[in-house]
Amino acid sequence: MTPVAGPAQSLTRAPAGRKRGGVLAAVHAEWVKLRTVSGPGWLLLACAVVTITVSAAVVAVEKCSSASCAVDTTKLSLTGVQVGQAAVAVLGVMVVGGEYATGMVRLTLAAVPRRSVMLAAKAAAVAVVTAAAGIIAVLGSLLAGRIFLPGDGFTVARGFLPLSLGNGPTLRAAVGSVLYLVLVALFSLGVAAAVRDTAAAIAIVLGVMYVVRGVSSLVLDPAWQLRIDRVVPMNAGLAIQSTTNLTKLPIGPWPGLGVLAAWTAAALLAGWLLLRLRDA
Amino acid sequence: MIGEMTPVRGGGRTAGRDGFAQLLRAEWTKFWTVRGWVVSLVLAVLLPVGVALALGNASNAGNGGFPGVATGPGGIAVNDNFFFEHRSLAGDGSITVRVTSLTDGAVPRQGEGNLAPQAWAKAGIILKDGTRAGSAYAAVMATPGHGVRMQYDFTHDTAGLPGAVSVSSPRWLRLARSGDTVTGYDSADGRHWVMIGKATLAGLPSTAAAGLFVASPQAYQSGNGYVPTQARARFDDLSLQGGWSPGRWALCEVGAPQSRVGAGCTPVSSRVVPLPLASESRGTFTVYGSGDISPYVPIVDIVGGIIKAGSLAGLVALIALSGVYVSSEYRRGMIRTTFAASPRRGRVILAKAIVIGAVAFAAGLAGAAVALTIIGPKLRSQGWTPPIYPAVSLGTGTGLRIVAGTAVVLALAAVFTLAVAVMLRRSVGAIVVGIALFVAPWLVAAAVGQSLGAFLLRVTPFAGTAVEQGVQHYPQSSAVCLASHGCYPLAPWDGVAVLAAWAVAALVAAWFVVRRRDA
Repeated sequence: MTPVAGPAQSLTRAPAGRKRGGVLAAVHAEWVKLRTVSGPGWLLLACAVVTITVSAAVVAVEKCSSASCAVDTTKLSLTGVQVGQAAVAVLGVMVVGGEYATGMVRLTLAAVPRRSVMLAAKAAAVAVVTAAAGIIAVLGSLLAGRIFLPGDGFTVARGFLPLSLGNGPTLRAAVGSVLYLVLVALFSLGVAAAVRDTAAAIAIVLGVMYVVRGVSSLVLDPAWQLRIDRVVPMNAGLAIQSTTNLTKLPIGPWPGLGVLAAWTAAALLAGWLLLRLRDA
Repeated sequence: MIGEMTPVRGGGRTAGRDGFAQLLRAEWTKFWTVRGWVVSLVLAVLLPVGVALALGNASNAGNGGFPGVATGPGGIAVNDNFFFEHRSLAGDGSITVRVTSLTDGAVPRQGEGNLAPQAWAKAGIILKDGTRAGSAYAAVMATPGHGVRMQYDFTHDTAGLPGAVSVSSPRWLRLARSGDTVTGYDSADGRHWVMIGKATLAGLPSTAAAGLFVASPQAYQSGNGYVPTQARARFDDLSLQGGWSPGRWALCEVGAPQSRVGAGCTPVSSRVVPLPLASESRGTFTVYGSGDISPYVPIVDIVGGIIKAGSLAGLVALIALSGVYVSSEYRRGMIRTTFAASPRRGRVILAKAIVIGAVAFAAGLAGAAVALTIIGPKLRSQGWTPPIYPAVSLGTGTGLRIVAGTAVVLALAAVFTLAVAVMLRRSVGAIVVGIALFVAPWLVAAAVGQSLGAFLLRVTPFAGTAVEQGVQHYPQSSAVCLASHGCYPLAPWDGVAVLAAWAVAALVAAWFVVRRRDA
């Protein structure tokens, strides 16, 4: 037995070793792809710029003229996230869909045959770069709020403290908004992996985000409105930005983000299953 | 050189005529033989229907009722609530009066002067088929914001002398009845009279109620919604001709909000504290009033909103389809074959635009027609009933306009996206641009302030969806037109013209770009 055991052990060990290295190598490969193609960089820049611009425009325009304005200034300052998310959604779609469009995916799968590893590596790379852009976008938006809001009448005298990450709910909203952007990017990645087509994936993601939100805003029945606000990904996910009247929200901040996370998990799971079940 | 070119040109011209038909056929074949594209076309039909079903189920009008809403001539919903200092007039006759002031009538609170009166507050003379709310009428009135007006049967409105009334600039008003016809006049000096208009009130009984009236519509305050207001008017120089009933003027409130719909006039005691609502002193009448005489415009555009939401869901599928229809040719290099077969690139773009426009039109027509047919009975069963929410179906003008307009909007939107995709050569960019321009204004206009929202609904391609309005707006209505409520600043087909301008501009730009660059 002993003479046989040596090679057998090394045989079993070797793939295990390669697999471990494989995950890191796969993540590294995805990182190289993201870094060396111009598209992702522009999309991340667009996410930060669009988010900060829209947020700054909103806080610059919003005015508080009396003592009774009930405005959640943190949420208001983070409005741009609703627009900037489109850029990271496109990024998530392109990372997978772009490879299918060019046939690159066959090369990728030849290099990383384990599809779960490939998908995980892509997800990890997208999550990291989205988080980086998201942090800049969120901090820039809050800074715009901190600069503009006191001049709009949201003064300390009226009970509006300057926005600060030292404030627990504001910090939670900031961290949560970054996570929101990451989840949107990963949701898009999962959808793209499932449908394999960039155009279809983009239409599905933007449709689920914006059209479903628009349609749900037309629901007049309060009971239905409540149900919808608890399951529609954008409505529920954005609850994380709320810092006032938390008891009156249709869904709490973290459970709301959890709903979006469930959508993301479902999309990634569908993408992973379909990736395993069919040819590239 | 010319000699050399002639055969080519001539050949090009003959091939050109059947050539374009062939080109169309080629583009059509490319379209319908790709399974994924046909699937997205089917989705573009099914999504509006699905959205209509879902929203129809989730929309209940509630049974709170709508106090103060009466049914006017022709079955439309109307506001008919005003203070009426009246007598009865048998047969032909006329009433002439001078209006010397029309101001806010609210009792000033401590430290406040009178507020500015409502632009559509009304003070003048009216001749009406009795005192029941919603009955036929003709009236001439002064208003603070819109000058002298002659209005009849709620939907008709004609301008007279401009400007507000004051003691130094009073207005003389006259109404004269002759059979079924009531004629309105105004004058700035009581000597030179100008006819404003004639109203034919079919079936006006020989004895009508007529006299002075004052109304002041509810004011919209953001945050509070609509709040009641009151106006005060002064009249003098009254002269009557014809068979007026003898005796005193009687003041009553037509269509009082607390009264049963269709009930008669609620008598108003002339000794209401702290001020009498009507008083006469040496020929000068002072009358207070609130309410409005106008078509009732509901805040919720239930049918238009549902069809629009459905059509935007279908539009996302069509935008993706248009983007891919172009980008797939560039991605596979097929475009070189296409341009080799048909070197006149502008015609290729045109053929593609016609194919995508036609299929989008068909999908829009089918989706909207089915959606409208489904939600009609559903909404009626959930309390969205006439007169406020008249039935909208394929058999009504509004329904036909909504369905045909939806088809046109989707066709133009698809053509626009196609042109953008030609310019960008990429589907993703075109799809993001398409969705950003067509869907974002919808969400943004609902969230931002009134002026920015109205601006977006006026200039973006989304303006085209104005054609899907299910509620009719009237210029003489005091209901505010809020972008966040889905009210458009543009008339239905004017919005489509804005969208068409975007589509044509994009096509021209695409044609220019394709000619200038390599495939």
